[in-house]
Amino acid sequence: MSNEHTVKSYEEELQFLKDSLIKMGSLTESQLSDAMDAVIKVDKDSIDKIIKSDEEINKFRSKIDTQIMNLLVKRAPMAIDLRETISSLKISQDLERIGDLSKSNAKKVKPLPLDLPDELLGNLKRLGELVMKQLNDVLDSYVNKNFDKAKEVWEKDEQVDDLTYIAMESVIDFLSKDKKNLDFSTHLIFATKNLERAGDHITNIAETVCYLVKGEYLKGSRPKGKVIQD
Amino acid sequence: MNNIKIKSKNLNVYYGDKQALFDVNLDLNEKEVTALIGPSGCGKSTFIRCINRMNDVIDICKVTGNIEMDGMNINDKDLDVVSLRERVGMVFQKPNPFPKSIYDNISYGPKIHGKGETKSELDQIVENSLKKSALWEEVKDRLDEPGTSLSGGQQQRLCIARAISVNPEVILMDEPCSALDPIATAKIEELIDELKKTYTIVIVTHSMAQAVRVSQKTGFFHLGKLIEVGKTEKIFKNPDNKMTQDYITGRFG
Repeated sequence: MSNEHTVKSYEEELQFLKDSLIKMGSLTESQLSDAMDAVIKVDKDSIDKIIKSDEEINKFRSKIDTQIMNLLVKRAPMAIDLRETISSLKISQDLERIGDLSKSNAKKVKPLPLDLPDELLGNLKRLGELVMKQLNDVLDSYVNKNFDKAKEVWEKDEQVDDLTYIAMESVIDFLSKDKKNLDFSTHLIFATKNLERAGDHITNIAETVCYLVKGEYLKGSRPKGKVIQD
Repeated sequence: MNNIKIKSKNLNVYYGDKQALFDVNLDLNEKEVTALIGPSGCGKSTFIRCINRMNDVIDICKVTGNIEMDGMNINDKDLDVVSLRERVGMVFQKPNPFPKSIYDNISYGPKIHGKGETKSELDQIVENSLKKSALWEEVKDRLDEPGTSLSGGQQQRLCIARAISVNPEVILMDEPCSALDPIATAKIEELIDELKKTYTIVIVTHSMAQAVRVSQKTGFFHLGKLIEVGKTEKIFKNPDNKMTQDYITGRFG
């Protein structure tokens, strides 16, 4: 028995949707990575480019929305196709939010002084690398329909929480040493929090991939690491 | 979970040398709608025809295995088929009213089954059946007109009223909406929702969307075998069997 749809154009529409989502994913990855670099290197020249790339991501989001609406109305998808369609809708929303958070981080670079001490940025850098790895892994799990890998990402969000806590502590330490640091330290705190929230969206995507593959939601509550009280 | 109304065990049907059903084990719950789906010739209609012994009318047809209603063996040679069909009504793909008045279409069944001795009792049955099939308001002033003068959708509701008139326990529907427009289809589906409070319903349909809308349980047949049966929601969101998935998603070659 063939795995292709009898109606070729249906097959093509689903493939087109998957391709769009993968492209949106890789765009979101580059943007997150660029924004992270900009913060760590206090690279003010790249801010505009990052803000611009967020517009691209938003365009993808509305393109995917339209594709999904068309699929729903034309094909009334069932079973795996229904899960594929609905999952694309959810994943594209999470990617768009990650894009917004990256944009927000890029904007935080502007007020930062150029001579930030390495120990302050070290923990933030580690957090950023972990979040990027998580995004990369979750997108891989989507492409390969890999339940175990998605679940691994879901479990690893605990580490994102822990690193967020550590990064926050080092910023607060720095801040408490000299009140002059207050202004830009606040920006660093927000940047750290943004990364943690990006991690949460990645966890959402991991849950969606698990549902897409197996047709059932992960049981139990999300693993939680140390949390800074809001 | 409702009680099991109809139970088939290792049910086999042969038309001459050709086997049409293979060891079908399928339970139908009371006061629930079960949808049977599958490509043409997969055995779904053959299966429902076992429930009211419609296969009896085909000389070369042989049925083996077990099929029961409330524990009663439907295949029992001594079973009174007329009284079985009083308990198990049927509605077909094409509306097939008798070439008689609307009134007679409905009163005919109760009359031959000895229900409704007086005119007023029959009037009551006709009115109730038409009300239950959501047709009363449309035809109450023209009960003398021929059933065939109604629109397709109305004729199908007339056939449902005719099936209800003898107060059955089970209603079999073999693609009841395939000849109807979307509005008439919606009315029948609305009616099925109402009827399931009273009757056990089995519907054969080629429309997946209809199966999802009207049924609580769905069975998928392929080449005479029941491939998968389960809660409708599960079958259409996340079926266990790859063949079921291929069929409902339109991947069947």
